Amino acid sequence: MINKIQLYHGDGGVKTNELIREIFLKSYGEVGKVSLSDSFVFTTKASKLAYTTDSFVVQPLFFRGGDIGKLAICGTLNDLATAGAKPLYISAGFIIEEGFDIEALRQIACSMGEVCKRNNVRIVTGDTKVVEKGSADGIFINTSGIGVVSEQYFPCEIEPGDEIIITGTIAEHGTAILLDRYDLAIETSIKSDCCALSHLISDLERILPYIKLMKDPTRGGVATVLNEIAEFAGFNVELLENNIPIHPQVKAVNEILGIDPLYLACEGRMLLVAKKGYGSEILQLLQDFCGCREAQMIGCFTSDRQKLVYMQTKIGGKRVLPSLESQTVPRIC
Amino acid sequence: MMKMKPEIEKTVRIMEVCGTHTQAIAKSGIRYLLPKHVKLLSGPGCPVCVTHESYIDGAIDLLSYQNVILATFGDMLKVKGTYASLSEIKRKDTIFTVYSPEDAITLARKYPHKTVVFLAVGFETTAPIIGATIKNVFEQGPENLLFLTALKRMEPILRFILENEENRIDGLICPGHVASVLGGDAFRFVTEEFNLPAVVCGFQGEDMKKGVYSLLDQIEGKQPVTFLNLYPNCVRNQGNPLAKEFINEVYETEDGFWRGIGEVGDSALVLKEKYQRLDAKKRFPISEKITLKPSVCQCSEIILGRKAPYECSQFGVNCTPENPLGPCMISSEGACSAHYKYGRVIF
Repeated sequence: MINKIQLYHGDGGVKTNELIREIFLKSYGEVGKVSLSDSFVFTTKASKLAYTTDSFVVQPLFFRGGDIGKLAICGTLNDLATAGAKPLYISAGFIIEEGFDIEALRQIACSMGEVCKRNNVRIVTGDTKVVEKGSADGIFINTSGIGVVSEQYFPCEIEPGDEIIITGTIAEHGTAILLDRYDLAIETSIKSDCCALSHLISDLERILPYIKLMKDPTRGGVATVLNEIAEFAGFNVELLENNIPIHPQVKAVNEILGIDPLYLACEGRMLLVAKKGYGSEILQLLQDFCGCREAQMIGCFTSDRQKLVYMQTKIGGKRVLPSLESQTVPRIC
Repeated sequence: MMKMKPEIEKTVRIMEVCGTHTQAIAKSGIRYLLPKHVKLLSGPGCPVCVTHESYIDGAIDLLSYQNVILATFGDMLKVKGTYASLSEIKRKDTIFTVYSPEDAITLARKYPHKTVVFLAVGFETTAPIIGATIKNVFEQGPENLLFLTALKRMEPILRFILENEENRIDGLICPGHVASVLGGDAFRFVTEEFNLPAVVCGFQGEDMKKGVYSLLDQIEGKQPVTFLNLYPNCVRNQGNPLAKEFINEVYETEDGFWRGIGEVGDSALVLKEKYQRLDAKKRFPISEKITLKPSVCQCSEIILGRKAPYECSQFGVNCTPENPLGPCMISSEGACSAHYKYGRVIF
C-alpha cells in the first residue's frame, strides 16, 4: 500500500474498501464492526436514549496528551455523558485531504479504537471522503453517538444555594494546544486533559438524582460555560478563586502569555450542579471513587437574578467573568 | 472582608503604568475593596496602546517591497494605522507572529531568500532582549533580518503626565517590569521632584493591595511621602546591569511619537549609528508621515489618566474586544480590554 492518501481512496471502490479494512478496522480492533449495509441496525430495551454529533478540526492534529482521533471519540462520549447517558454506538466520518500520511491516519484510528475499547463502546458505521489537496487541512472527523440515559438522572430547575463542582484541574487542553500551535519553547509537563467521562454516569449513579445539570467546559472554558448555565438558571453564579483547581504550570504559562485560564478549554472535565447540601457528598465520591482527585467545589448559585458570573478573588475583591467574546485560540477541537 | 473606611472626601487618583499591573488590578478585583473616592487609572504602560498610527503605516509600506516579510508580537496585528491594521492586509505567509525577538532569527534562517523585518515595540522591558538580539545579528547574522523600532522610554512620558496639572495624579504605582531593568532608583524623581507618593510593587493581588494601601497612607498624610520599593526580590535599586548595558550599547534616544498624545521629547529608543545597517527604515524608504486625524476614539484620554474606560462614550457600545476602535481595547494589557473583561460591573 502506498503511504499517502490518494483521491481514489474516497471514491467508494476497491481502494476505499482496502483503506477501511487495512486502516480503520485493523486499528479499531474488536470495537470496529464490518457491515455490508450502509446502516447499522440495532434493537434496545432502553426507554430513553441520547443522540449527539460533533465535528473535529483541531490543529495541530497531534498534540501533547492526545490527537484528533482521541478527541473525536472523547468529545462525543462526553456530550453523551452530559445527558446522563452511557454510550452504546458511535459513527465516524472522515474528510481527508489528498496527500495525507496514511501512517498518521492509522495512528488516529488506533487512538479512536483505544478510547472506544476502554469505554465499552463500538464504532458501527462510518464514511470516508477524500478532497483535493488544499481543500481541507489534513483531516476533519465527525463522530456521532447514541447512548442510554440513566434512569437516575433527571435534570431539574436550578435554585439559589445549588453548588457547583468541577471534576479536575482546568484549562489543560487549551494550554497544551497553545504550546503546540505556537511552538513555544517553554519546558513543561502540561498535557491535554482530553479523556472520556462516561464512567462518571455509572460511578455517580447512586447520587445522580441530586445532580441537576452536567456540562463539559470545552470551548470558551469554565467562565463561558458557567455564563451559559447562569443564563439558563436565571441566577448569579459566585465562584471562589481559592477553590478553582489549576496546575501550577498551566497557571504560569498563561501568566506569561497574558491569557486567562478560565477561558481555556477542558476536554476531560465536567461541571456539575449539585442540589444544595449535596455538593460535599458528591465531591467526596468524585475524589475517592471516580479518579477525580483534583475535583473541587468552586462556587454556588446566589439569589440575585442578573445572571452574572463573578468571582471572589484571593484578596477578597470581586470581579465579573463575562462570556468569551473573541476566541483566544481558534480550532481547539 | 471589611471595606476600607474613607478618611478623606476628595477623589484620589492613583495611576499605574504597566500593562501587567492593569491586568492585575482588574483580575484581583481590588477596586471592590477600595472606597469609592479612590480611582485607579491605567497610564501609558501597554506598548501596543501607545504605538503611533504612522508606525503601523510604515510596517504596511514595508510589505509592498518584494520579498519582505514581517515578524511581530501578536497584539500588534489588530492595531489600526491611519487606514488599516496588519491583520486587515495580511496575506498568507507575509506576517508571522513571534513570542520573542529570537524567534525572528529562526524565521530569517527559515526564509533565507526573504528579508525578515521584526517589529520591535515595547518599553525598557523588551528593549534589552531586542538589543541583545540586534547585537547578536550584527555580529553573526543572519543578514536578512532587520528591525523596525518603536521602542519607548518610560521616564519622559511620566514627566509629561506629571508636569501637566490637568492630569491630577495623587500617587504612582511605578512600572514593575521597567523598574526591574532600570532599577527602583530610576523612579525616585517622582517623589523627589514632584513630591508625589510612589511605590514599586509586584503583580499578585496581594502585592497590588499593599502598594495601593501604602500610597493611600501617604496621600492621606498618615505616612510621610517617600519612594517605596515593595518588590525588592525582583527590583534592585540599581536594576539589572546586563540589561542596561544592552540598552546603552545598542540604542540612543530621540523624540518619539505616542498615539493620541503626540511628540514627547527624548522618549524613543532608536538604533545607534553603528547598528543602523539593521534598521529597516534605512534600508527601505517608508512613509513616516504623521497625521493626527480627529477620532471618536478616546484612548489618549484614558492613557493620560483623564478618563476611566467606562467614562468613554464608545466603551462597550461601539468598542468591544470583538470590534476594537482603539488600541486600549486591542491588547490584552490595554486598560479598556482589561476593564471590559474583568471589571465591567462595579459592585
